Amino acid sequence: MRRIAALNAPAERLKLKCGMGLADARAMHPSIEVMEEEPEADRRLLDGLADWCDRYTPLVALDGTDGLLLDITGCAHLFGGEHAMQDHIVLRLTEQGFHVRVGIASTAGAAWAATRFLEDTPIEQGAEEHALAALPLAALRLDPAVRASMESVGLRNIGAIASTPRAPLVRRFGQIVALRLDQALGRVEEAISPRHPAPPLSVERQLAEPVLSMDGIETLTSRLCESLGVELERRGEGARALRLTLFRVDGAVHRIDVGTSRPLREPRLMQRLFHERLGALADDIDPGCGFELLRLGAMATGRLDLRQTDLAGAGVPEEEGLADFVDRVQARLGDRVMMKACLAQSHVPERAVQYIAFAETSGTPLAALPKQARPIRLLSRAEPIDVSAAEVPEGPPSAFRWRRMTHRVVRAEGPERIAPEWWLNGIPHVEADEEPRREVAQKQAMRTMTAQTTRDYFRVEDAEGCRFWLYREGLYGPGTKPRWFLHGLFA
Amino acid sequence: MASSAVVRETLVSLRHQIAKIEGRLAETLDGEDEGRTVLRRSGIPQAGCLATGVEALDAVLESGIPTTALTEIHGSILHGGGAASGFALALVALLQAHALDQGEENLPVLWISVDDALAEAGVPYAPGLARHAGLSPRNLLIARTPSVEDALWIAEEAAALRHLLAVVVEVHGNPACLDLTATRRLHRRACAAGRPVFLVRQSAALWPTAAPLRLLVLPAAAMPRSTLAGPLEGTIGLPAFLVTVSKSRSGKPLRLILEWNPDDRAFEERPAQDSRAVVSVPAVRPHLPAAAGTVMAFPAGQQSAAARLQPDGEQHAPYRRAQRSG
Repeated sequence: MRRIAALNAPAERLKLKCGMGLADARAMHPSIEVMEEEPEADRRLLDGLADWCDRYTPLVALDGTDGLLLDITGCAHLFGGEHAMQDHIVLRLTEQGFHVRVGIASTAGAAWAATRFLEDTPIEQGAEEHALAALPLAALRLDPAVRASMESVGLRNIGAIASTPRAPLVRRFGQIVALRLDQALGRVEEAISPRHPAPPLSVERQLAEPVLSMDGIETLTSRLCESLGVELERRGEGARALRLTLFRVDGAVHRIDVGTSRPLREPRLMQRLFHERLGALADDIDPGCGFELLRLGAMATGRLDLRQTDLAGAGVPEEEGLADFVDRVQARLGDRVMMKACLAQSHVPERAVQYIAFAETSGTPLAALPKQARPIRLLSRAEPIDVSAAEVPEGPPSAFRWRRMTHRVVRAEGPERIAPEWWLNGIPHVEADEEPRREVAQKQAMRTMTAQTTRDYFRVEDAEGCRFWLYREGLYGPGTKPRWFLHGLFA
Repeated sequence: MASSAVVRETLVSLRHQIAKIEGRLAETLDGEDEGRTVLRRSGIPQAGCLATGVEALDAVLESGIPTTALTEIHGSILHGGGAASGFALALVALLQAHALDQGEENLPVLWISVDDALAEAGVPYAPGLARHAGLSPRNLLIARTPSVEDALWIAEEAAALRHLLAVVVEVHGNPACLDLTATRRLHRRACAAGRPVFLVRQSAALWPTAAPLRLLVLPAAAMPRSTLAGPLEGTIGLPAFLVTVSKSRSGKPLRLILEWNPDDRAFEERPAQDSRAVVSVPAVRPHLPAAAGTVMAFPAGQQSAAARLQPDGEQHAPYRRAQRSG
């Protein structure tokens, strides 16, 4: 059965109600216009609106499926005070075709109630109790069940609850009632969870005339970088992560993130990072009717102290360092491009080296280098080779076939036996009841596993002089068939 | 007085013309000053050279591998990225040893690879590099990109950087974007920064590039390990490369086998094993040629050393091969 999920104001005046069957409604008023409910589209629209509202405050949270919660602490004066800000929001959203209600209060709970039940907002700080006293219990964000049970004993508005002794109220209706009341009246702090983390530092520029060209965006970005650099210098910090937010006139928002491998506050260097990123994104950013607001935020900062240059170096313009170069590469091509080899504590060749993203860290301890011969290039995955036969069962192959080419082995060195890391792979599970028998079975299973995965590495040279690193996985024995792999290339 | 000035001007212009023809700097044309480093106004040494320590090679390369230029190192067309990258890394090791001797900082090396080259020949493996080229994992930076254009962009940006010892760009095949223009840009950047750029090419046909030096590097059979009791049969000794100078300033051809000693960080030329004549002198000289018998292909490994020293057809660039007409 299809039901009514939401109504507009004229429909409410026709005495239709949410949850009413569609057939009943059509029987009452055959001329009503019905639209399918699309929760997913509603959510997308609300997300888009939340993005748009980022211009008022960095702390925007979704409130249920039909509301937005903006923490405008310290932001209202930028728009000429709370009244002006409220008017601004209502005007801009009405222009876009939304029917919007705005409530401003010192607490999230009071603002929620004011938005839905009061006309004259903002509520001044300290006046919440007086303002909310006459409102129904629905203004407290309570469950309908709790609300109904409270209304059944005659507690019909917030003022009534506030004047009722606290202990019996909590005992009868639960902790939530007291909590909601305290939150609304500002006795308990209520945290809102913003959609995006708020940057510790951000600068922005509102434009009277929307900017359309990429050059214009870059020019503005360099100005913002300069302002941000001044702020960072004042705090003695450098940015580790930067985010440029572009607000388009029609509400679309682009966020461009770049990371740095060392704290950065030189405006020119920050601007170069965005230059690369914007260059790479040029096709993805559609200016449409133009961008009306640009914001640059330092999402993470690190300590950066001024360093004194010596007298000789004072006049030399600072050259681009390696870290800055890597940052630019990462800004353009992504942060998985520049890698640094790091030796790990493992004797298994493919685990002995890890490739980590470049960062200016010098103190990473390195594991010792192996003393045995190692290839200069290691295939990322050992490739199986066809070996017809080895002259000696435990020895190197006399010929092998790799990538559709047969190589005749002329000389070979080895084997170097590399056993698996059993302490990482775990002990095989065995089924046995009694303790001594289980131990024996366990040892047997362990031995089998080791025999199957132990590798014997050979360094071989083929007739043309190419030198390869081969290994045989598994030992010869009853029931095992070793396989051969090519793992690396020597110089 | 006036006539001597005119004579000197003529002399200078002639000298510049000769220098242009020979591809050298006019300042280095004087006989006794050959191979010296010329410092230009920006303080960047022009045409610095890295002696390989092998006399024959240095003579052909005119005092060594240029350190302020793009150098192309070609691997085998068929398989094996080991030889070309091993040779490039040996050059990097030489360069590093030279820089440390000069009291310079131990600078990192940037290795730029396209993904398919890495899939083909494997990732540079830090423990192996430490052993082969004495390159600490701290000093190895690897950039891997999905496309050649990105790799060339990184290379161009990195070539202008003086915080790197060398830039090695590894490219697989003959991508269209690696043309004269792109290599010329790389070369000019390397000249400006005074750092070498090595272009390691795998599975690629020879094609014109702006690099002043091109070496073909094929693997060569290693000698057995030498012990106190003589060579130890069946072992694999120092890595050996069959190096052909395909393009150089002097234009002289050269083909020789180099052995790289990772411990001494030095190249050694291996003397030719057998000095047989290329064409054997027949003992009896029949007046008539013998009737053609069964023709058999030589097994690949049993080619004589002399025959191997002849340039093979693959090394002629496709654009220089006989063109089919019609």
